[in-house]
Amino acid sequence: MWLERFGIPDSAFDGYRFYRKAQSVWVVSDVTLPALSYEALGMRMMDLKGRVWKPTTCALQIFGRFAAKNVVPLDDDQASIFLAGGTQKIESATEAGYAVVFYRGGVLGCGLYSSGRLISQVPKELRSGCTNGDET
Amino acid sequence: MDWLERYREIVPDFEDFKAAQQRRLLPSARINLLKAERSRAMEHLEEEGVKGRPFKWYSLGLGLDSESPGKLRTNLLGYIHLQEELSMVPPLVLDPKPGETVLDLCASPGSKTTQISQMMENRGLVVANEPSLSRIAPLRSNCERLGVLNVAITRYDGRRFPRGPFDRVLVDAPCSSEGRARRDPKALSRCSLRRSLGLQTLQIGLLKNALRLARTGGVVVYSTCTYAPEENEMVVEAALNQSRLERISIPGLRECPGITKWNGCELNEELHRAARYYPHFNDTGGFFVARLIKN
Repeated sequence: MWLERFGIPDSAFDGYRFYRKAQSVWVVSDVTLPALSYEALGMRMMDLKGRVWKPTTCALQIFGRFAAKNVVPLDDDQASIFLAGGTQKIESATEAGYAVVFYRGGVLGCGLYSSGRLISQVPKELRSGCTNGDET
Repeated sequence: MDWLERYREIVPDFEDFKAAQQRRLLPSARINLLKAERSRAMEHLEEEGVKGRPFKWYSLGLGLDSESPGKLRTNLLGYIHLQEELSMVPPLVLDPKPGETVLDLCASPGSKTTQISQMMENRGLVVANEPSLSRIAPLRSNCERLGVLNVAITRYDGRRFPRGPFDRVLVDAPCSSEGRARRDPKALSRCSLRRSLGLQTLQIGLLKNALRLARTGGVVVYSTCTYAPEENEMVVEAALNQSRLERISIPGLRECPGITKWNGCELNEELHRAARYYPHFNDTGGFFVARLIKN
């Protein structure tokens, strides 16, 4: 699916494997897991709840760098709006649906492109304006 | 009562040590190579008007001149992670390699876990254990933000984590946090011998289990952010019948040897191979690290 929508080759996932839990797909390092009880394994990469599957922001930030299509590069102002969770008019050859949003060569996350507008899919906790406490 | 007075005999330049407690500690961060190359992360910070000053001893560690670094885009995007300078030491001492199986026994909020993941280049497996349910969420959220793919999270009491074996185990133990006084001045007011001894029981339980879980010849790193020998050398001593200590030396960071005498008692000679880090020598907080090799 990632190949079809974003042109991300299978080789980008070498060394990792996928598993499905409820309505999500997860990706984790392809190793033998010790027989333990796990709270979480790897990273959630897809949400299957809707009509169309949706990539997660954190998975796109890692694998999206290999994307060849349905990518939307943003400039400074556009990136600010996107990161604040906003919607904006963008000219793009992107097909309607989810897009990999880039800024200065790095992936910001997932946007929903529809009728000439880019709707940010950045989750609340990552939006600019949220604080992260000092940690050890 | 001035709690730190109990360390007058073991801390060199004790008056400087006390004076250092009052000095403000700047925020610090680690560059996360899983998300960005070092130069890209530095550029990103500059674009936000923040200067990052690399540490002498670790090129991925930066002192930041920022009032609220948590709000920086560079942080939200996971290019950097806010982390105490000395807390970047234990993963370096653990020295995990890509493809290995590593256990972080007291993982939350995940600063060291994610540093370990990065050193392993997102390969192999890091089991991040956190016993407290309420601390699982920050651990997960940090792993996601920092783009970590090789972490599996468990929720066991670390003293009863069931099975391994692991190539390396990190025990960054709950402690009285005296070394955090520059960040949190109230930390010292909560200290007492009784509290340290209570923590000691837990810490010994964690370290002994960590050694059981490591494979023969595997590396176990024990670390705290406190100065109390009750929680440091005396804990490590309890594990020396199953392991030996290796000396720690990080160029650019001044360490003092572990102490071998406390309160009139002689401790195991080998303990001098552990490392104590003091705020007045490196302009940091306080830390204790020991590197054990399982027999």
